[in-house]
Amino acid sequence: MQCDVFLVGTGQTRFGELFDRSTRDVMEEAIGNAIENSGLTSLDIDMVVVANMLAEQTNNQAHLGSLASQMLPHHPPALRVEAACGSGAVALHTATALLESKRAETVLVVGVEKMTDASTEDVSTALMGAADSELDQPSGLTFPGIFGLIAQRYMHEYGLTREQLSLVSALHHRNGMRNPFAQFRIEVTPEAVSQSSPVADPLRLLDCSPISDGAAACILSTLHRSPLRLAASQIATDTLSIAQRATLTSFSASKEAMERALREAEIDRDEIKALETHDCFSIAALINLEDLGFAEPGEGIRLYEALYKGRATSLMINRSGGLKACGHPVAATGVKQLCDIGKQLISEKKQWGIAHNFGGACASCGIHLLENLDA
Amino acid sequence: MRDSSPIIHRAQKKRSDKLQSGTIVSFTMLRNPPSQFGKSPRPIGLIELEDGSNVLATLVGSNFQIGQTVRPRMRLSYVNEEKLRIYEVAYETVMPARISYPREKAFPGYILALTGPSGVGKTTVSRILAKGFGGSLTSVPIVTTRAPKSGDEGEYLHMTTKEFENMRAKGAIIAVTHIPSATEERWYGYRAADIEAIWKAGKLPVVITEMHLLQGLATHFGRRSILSFGLLPPGKSKRTMLSHLLHRLRTRGRDTEEHIKDRLKNAEADIAFFKERKDLFDHLLVNEDLEKVISTLKERVPGLSEA
Repeated sequence: MQCDVFLVGTGQTRFGELFDRSTRDVMEEAIGNAIENSGLTSLDIDMVVVANMLAEQTNNQAHLGSLASQMLPHHPPALRVEAACGSGAVALHTATALLESKRAETVLVVGVEKMTDASTEDVSTALMGAADSELDQPSGLTFPGIFGLIAQRYMHEYGLTREQLSLVSALHHRNGMRNPFAQFRIEVTPEAVSQSSPVADPLRLLDCSPISDGAAACILSTLHRSPLRLAASQIATDTLSIAQRATLTSFSASKEAMERALREAEIDRDEIKALETHDCFSIAALINLEDLGFAEPGEGIRLYEALYKGRATSLMINRSGGLKACGHPVAATGVKQLCDIGKQLISEKKQWGIAHNFGGACASCGIHLLENLDA
Repeated sequence: MRDSSPIIHRAQKKRSDKLQSGTIVSFTMLRNPPSQFGKSPRPIGLIELEDGSNVLATLVGSNFQIGQTVRPRMRLSYVNEEKLRIYEVAYETVMPARISYPREKAFPGYILALTGPSGVGKTTVSRILAKGFGGSLTSVPIVTTRAPKSGDEGEYLHMTTKEFENMRAKGAIIAVTHIPSATEERWYGYRAADIEAIWKAGKLPVVITEMHLLQGLATHFGRRSILSFGLLPPGKSKRTMLSHLLHRLRTRGRDTEEHIKDRLKNAEADIAFFKERKDLFDHLLVNEDLEKVISTLKERVPGLSEA
C-alpha cells in the first residue's frame, strides 16, 4: 500500500428475497448504515464506487454510479465497477487505487444486487454472462453446470465423497444461524444436503448459493482513522472459460492474488485468523482453502470436518454463513465479506483477517487483508 | 440476443475445428438446462480433443466416465425463435473406459445376449429358446419406467423414474438406456442382482437387448462374460433392412404408429452399431430363416446342443 487506508465504516441490508425493496431502497439502507457506523457525515465522502453485475438485466437499470451519488446531498463523483460475482472486491480495489493516488481521501464503496425481480431462468441466463459466451454458453451450460464439472473432476482426482462435501454447506448454515443479516438462519444437516434435489451432478440444490437481494457498503479513508487498517488489496484474473485452463481443481487467480496480498501486507499466511471465502458452490470453498494455502491440495475438507465436529482450528472460516447461508447478491458479496471480516477481528480480538471474493469460475479474484490495530 | 443470426453464423464457422475424437475430462448432468434446450436433463462434458484443445459440449450416451473416449457427432441442438435449426457438435461415448472393466474379478459366468433392432425377431427367437431350453435358460427381466401396455409378457418390471434413478444411483441397476420418445420418459435397465440370481440357480441368463444395455453389461461384467449375438434383418442395404423391420412392426400390431416411428428411428442407429462396434459381437446372424437362427444358436451356445 502506498499509504495507510482505514476501514472507517460498514453497513449492509439483510440478504434475502426482499420483494418489497428496490435496487435503490437496498442501496440507500446500506449507505445510510455505513455512514452512521463511521461517525462521519455524508459530506465527508469524496467519491462513490458502485459494484453491480446485473442491474440492466434484472432491474432495467444501468448508470448506477449516478443513482448512488444522488443519495448523498452533495452528489460526489461516482463510478460503477463490474467483474461478475467478484465486482465487490474489484470495486474495493478501485477505491483503494483512488485513495492511493490521492484522487480522493474518503471513498464510499457500495455493492448491490437485486435479483428477485427477474425469473430464475432469466437470472441464470444473465449470470452465464460471467462465463465465456462463445466457449461455454452454446452447449447449454449454466453456472451450476460449470461447478458440477469442477466437482466431478475434484472427486475423481482426490476421492472426495458426496457425504464429505455435504459438510461444507452444513457448516455454513450453522454459522449463518448467528448472523442477523443472513438469508437462511436455519440448521441444515449434511444428510439433508446429500438428499436435496440434484442440480448438476454431483452438485445438489443445497450445494448452491441462493439467488438473493441485498446491498453492503464500506467507507475507506486515508484521512479518517479507525482500528481497522486495510493492509493489502490485490486482484488477479484467469481465462473466462474453464475449457482453456490447465486444471479444473485449482484456481490460479486465487493463488496469484494471495501471494501478492501476503507480500503487500508483509505477513505470513499462518498469522491470518479469520477468512471469508467465496463459496458460490460448496466445492469452491474446498478449492479456495487449498489455493489460498490453508490446506494441501485435496485436503480442504479436513478443515471443514474439524470445524463441523467443533474442534478448535486456528482459522475461522465463513463465520457469516458464507454465500450459501448468508446469501449471494452477487456484486454485494465482496463488499459484505470485508464488512464481516472487520466485525470478526474486533469481536474476536484477532489481528489479521482476509476477504476472498471471485467472479465466474474465478476468472477474476480479489483479496483484501485487514489488520486490527487494537489486537 | 444469445442466438441471433450473426452469433450463430460466426459459431458455425468454427464448428469444424471441433470434429475430433477426445476424452472426457469431466462431465455433469444439468437437471434444468436453459429452456430453449427442452426439459430433459442435459449431459455436458469437458472434453480434451486430440489436438490438445478442450471443448465444453453436450454428451450423447449414458454411464459417462472420466477418461472415456468420445467421438464427435453433428446433432440438432435446438430450434430458435426465428425457426432456425441450430446444430452443434456433440460427443458420443464409443468405448466404455478400459479402466472400468472389472479385470481382477473372477469370471462370473456367461450371459447370452441377443441384440438387434426392433422388429428383427428377438422376442420370437427368445420364445422358441425358452420353450425348447427352458431348463437351462432364464431370461433377465428388464426394469423400465415406461407405462405397461398390452402385448407385454412379463419381461418388464415397471417402476417410476424416481425409483429407477435411485436404484441406478445405488449401483443396483448396472446397464441403462434411454430410448427417446415423443410421449414419455423411457428408461430401461438391468439389475445385477437378477443376473447373479440366475447364475446361482445354475442357469444361463438371456438378455434380449440393445446397444447401450449391451455396453453396460460388458462394462460391468466384462466383455468376455457375454456371449453376444447380433440379429440383423434380411437385406443387403440399410434401406431394405429398414423396410423389412417396418413391415414386421406393423404386422405384429403391438405398437401404435407413433411408437413405430420412434422404433424405426432407433433401428437405424442399431444397424449402424453392428458395424461400428464389431468388438461387442461374437456372431452376427441374419434372421431370414428362423430355424437356421435357432440351430446356429444351439451350436454356438455351450450347453444347448446337448439339451
